[in-house]
Amino acid sequence: MKQIAPYPVLAGELTMTVQEARLDDVALPYGTISQQDHTVGLHRVDRDDWRTARLSIHINAPRHELDAGPWYSLAFFATASERRTNTHSAVKLMMGQPGEWTGEVDLHRDDHFGRVQLSGQLVATVNDVPGRVIATVARPWTVDFQARRAAQGEAVQTRWVDFAEDPHLAWCRSDPWALITTDDVAILNLNSGFDGLRAILEGTKAAERPIREGLAAQIGTAMWTALFNEAAHQAEGHEWPEGWRGLVLRRMLPDLFPDHSPDDALREIVNLGVGGVQPRVMHAAAKQARMPRSLGGFIRSLQKIGPEDE
Amino acid sequence: MTQDDGSITRDPVAFGAWLGRQLRRKGMSQSELATALNVTRAAVSAWITGRATPRIENIQAIEEILDLAAGSSETRDETPESSGYVAWHHRLAHSDGGRELGNPAAFAFDSSLSIAAREATQNSLDERWDKTRPVRVRFTLHELTGERLRRLQEAIRWDDLAPHIEAAGDQKQKVGRMLADGLRELRETGKLLLLRIDDYNANGLTGSEYEDGRFAAVVRRQLDSHKKGIAGGSFGLGKATIWGASRFGLVVMNSTLSEPHEDLRERRLIGRIDLPWHELNGVQYAGPAWLGGRDPLREAAARSWWAGERTVEELYLTRGSSDPGTSFLIVGAHDPSGEATTLEEMHMVLVRGLATHFWASMVAGRGQAPMLEASVEALRNGQSVVAEERVDPYRYEPARARAVRAFLDRTTVSQLVRAEDVVEMAVPLTVPPSKSDPQSDLVEHEAVLLVTPAHEAEEKPNRLVGMRGTRMTVLDRPVTGVPLGAPPFQAVLLAGTATGAGAPTDEVAEAFLRAAEPPEHNDWKPTEDLTATYARGAMTRLREFRRAAFAKVRSAVKPPEPVAQEGPPAILRDLVSLDPTPLPRTKGYPTVKSATGEVDDSGAWRIRVEIKLPEREDPWVLRPLLRFATRSGPKPEARWVELSAESNCELIGDVLVCVARERSAVFTGVSDVSSHPVAGRMAIAEIDLVQAKDGSQ
Repeated sequence: MKQIAPYPVLAGELTMTVQEARLDDVALPYGTISQQDHTVGLHRVDRDDWRTARLSIHINAPRHELDAGPWYSLAFFATASERRTNTHSAVKLMMGQPGEWTGEVDLHRDDHFGRVQLSGQLVATVNDVPGRVIATVARPWTVDFQARRAAQGEAVQTRWVDFAEDPHLAWCRSDPWALITTDDVAILNLNSGFDGLRAILEGTKAAERPIREGLAAQIGTAMWTALFNEAAHQAEGHEWPEGWRGLVLRRMLPDLFPDHSPDDALREIVNLGVGGVQPRVMHAAAKQARMPRSLGGFIRSLQKIGPEDE
Repeated sequence: MTQDDGSITRDPVAFGAWLGRQLRRKGMSQSELATALNVTRAAVSAWITGRATPRIENIQAIEEILDLAAGSSETRDETPESSGYVAWHHRLAHSDGGRELGNPAAFAFDSSLSIAAREATQNSLDERWDKTRPVRVRFTLHELTGERLRRLQEAIRWDDLAPHIEAAGDQKQKVGRMLADGLRELRETGKLLLLRIDDYNANGLTGSEYEDGRFAAVVRRQLDSHKKGIAGGSFGLGKATIWGASRFGLVVMNSTLSEPHEDLRERRLIGRIDLPWHELNGVQYAGPAWLGGRDPLREAAARSWWAGERTVEELYLTRGSSDPGTSFLIVGAHDPSGEATTLEEMHMVLVRGLATHFWASMVAGRGQAPMLEASVEALRNGQSVVAEERVDPYRYEPARARAVRAFLDRTTVSQLVRAEDVVEMAVPLTVPPSKSDPQSDLVEHEAVLLVTPAHEAEEKPNRLVGMRGTRMTVLDRPVTGVPLGAPPFQAVLLAGTATGAGAPTDEVAEAFLRAAEPPEHNDWKPTEDLTATYARGAMTRLREFRRAAFAKVRSAVKPPEPVAQEGPPAILRDLVSLDPTPLPRTKGYPTVKSATGEVDDSGAWRIRVEIKLPEREDPWVLRPLLRFATRSGPKPEARWVELSAESNCELIGDVLVCVARERSAVFTGVSDVSSHPVAGRMAIAEIDLVQAKDGSQ
């Protein structure tokens, strides 16, 4: 996909940094902001009743290009949007030095739920048309209302449960693992009541490593297959599903359709249906689970042990 | 103090005490003196009790009869030690032939220098005299050689003692081997190590020579814990470890008394050696011997003597101040555990040992004096080897010392927030009635539990240390089952009178926990003492107490919010990640390499597109899409009114069939204005490529 504008736009990059985060005017430890990952973790244990998060942001644009270009009445709008709640808000920032904008973005807790994308656009009057977008923040920020720390990657939640004692899992009490999905989360449940499973998975003996990896690969293959089928089933039209489903599809579709663009691959899934792509799903899931490497290690370890046992 | 305060008539009591001492030394009874002076026995008795004083001619006669220098009754001089009056007095063997080949109390302990230091310091703490001031304990290691060694040997009458040590050095017995070893080493190296342990502001060795009292408890008795009040057993079993720290079992004591004995306070001296049974020159000896004045009334017993300043100097026992307390000189000191051998190592063992066991006793609240001050110094022939180090609890136990300090200053909090915070909690202890009073009720005591984040440099975090009374470390256990995500911590449990609450139940709990301590004072557990003293259920109560303490520690360090999700096993961590994978640089599908264009006068987009193609045998079949960008939601699509191939492709309808094995293709297009959702000039356009199956829609 390639964009073209019917008017001159900025070639240089627009960068955004979050400099401070405050909850109801109380400054958060700097550890909640990760410049590296462009994330802010807002969830705090000891403050449950906060109302407003205020983020101080700073924008940098290539000053000399702005000076030379045909743009007038420059303004920067910071935008906060969350697909989940379909909330969009924008704040106009003040220009300090030429090419630099600073200001504050307020996020109200009632308006948001999970991950808010913080971005922004530089607009200008071009050819007498006011309010045209001439640049967008190259790398947006993510403000996470659920994460405790900044820079926490998304992952399938994993937990140990004794299946026999959990009403939701009792139906598969003899299984070693089970996947539970909702719109919000995908949870991989490991059965702590399954004899020896924990000992092997959490063991640290180097000698057991091939077995551990082989088992992990098996769990991974099963999990990714189920995740894909669930996510693909929910996909409609050209829209990527939200949350974990979208992430699963984005990870796996390139392996299912290596000669299609991600958008194109998504269309293929919608057109072909989940049932039509199972052989490809098997391949993609095995790749996610790193099956070839783990199984290879397992087989090699058998060969090593073999002669000594005889 | 009594020697220089004037005439007999002005202080009849002091004279009487002096006269009594001289009679005992001479072995003369009151009636014998009465007969010699031709006065009544009642008159002599009146002098001795200080009710009356003799006339001047009788005083002169007394000095003659007692072989004293003229005027000595006025100055009340004591007999000089050089007269041969002070000597070693050995206990003869039991007439039944029984032989003791070692001190049973000494075997009750793991012997080490550190434990000897603990026992000595514990005794000093228990014997604190002025409760508003700290007990000061000084450890001095002093290695002697050459003339200094010889002079000390003369002062302790070594030449009289050595044959006994040699005779007792029986290679077949454990104790004997140690003695022989010590003698051999002394001869070969010509070096002797002294360890002097002083306490100041302690009671000193008060009391009479033989009857109940501190003096007798230390000097005369084995296994007598002389327990009074809350003491952990002052001068009890533990004193054996002091003798154990000497290769020869040889200790000389100099005490300044808190209460005068025989009207005197300073420089009460006595020595004691604990040897096993031995035979010398045809005489069998039980083993122990005492250095002191002969007691004419008791065969083979020695009395303490009031020494002159020179004698004390020669024995390296000169005390630093007139504060009451005792100096123990351990002759031939060593570390029985064999861990430390050099002066420097022994210095370190002592400092570490004191810090480990008594850091809490050395912590004081704001503006207060601590209970204990301790220092360690090492010398060689009077020259400093390791300078005197005052043991600093904050250096050796930073987190725990901070916890106790916060407790004393009342700056504890109810929840851990900052790294320096100390949480205070109550731990209940139910003390069952004692067997001697089975009708009494259960007593509820509240111990104080302190928890604080560990100092970053600490080697052993996550431990619970328990103490009572004098705040000596008793319990020291790792806390297991610490909740996930808890910070490393240190916990301190103050029980009994250590809570400082002053409640009567504190004393009851103190006694209960003391009974639960084994002789090593390193645990609270069911002991014989406990089951013998308390009614049924004592063991259960103790177990409950311990369990409650550990549970409270765990609850204090539990992170306020349960860790939202238990982390996956490390092996699964990478496999469950949903983070986007970086896209490969070379795509496996056709991409728009360049798109340029403008909106013409009719409002239609005129666009030229370059396509990058992965090389393959089958031709790529593509449908170009023109869409209008939106902030969110589906992007409206516009139709083409005209498409034309420029290179490496041909058009079939609105489908582009690229030439096989080519790497790029170019086409141009014009949009259908009537299909634009908004004026083309007002929007940003997007070009995308969709794969079409074999040219069909």
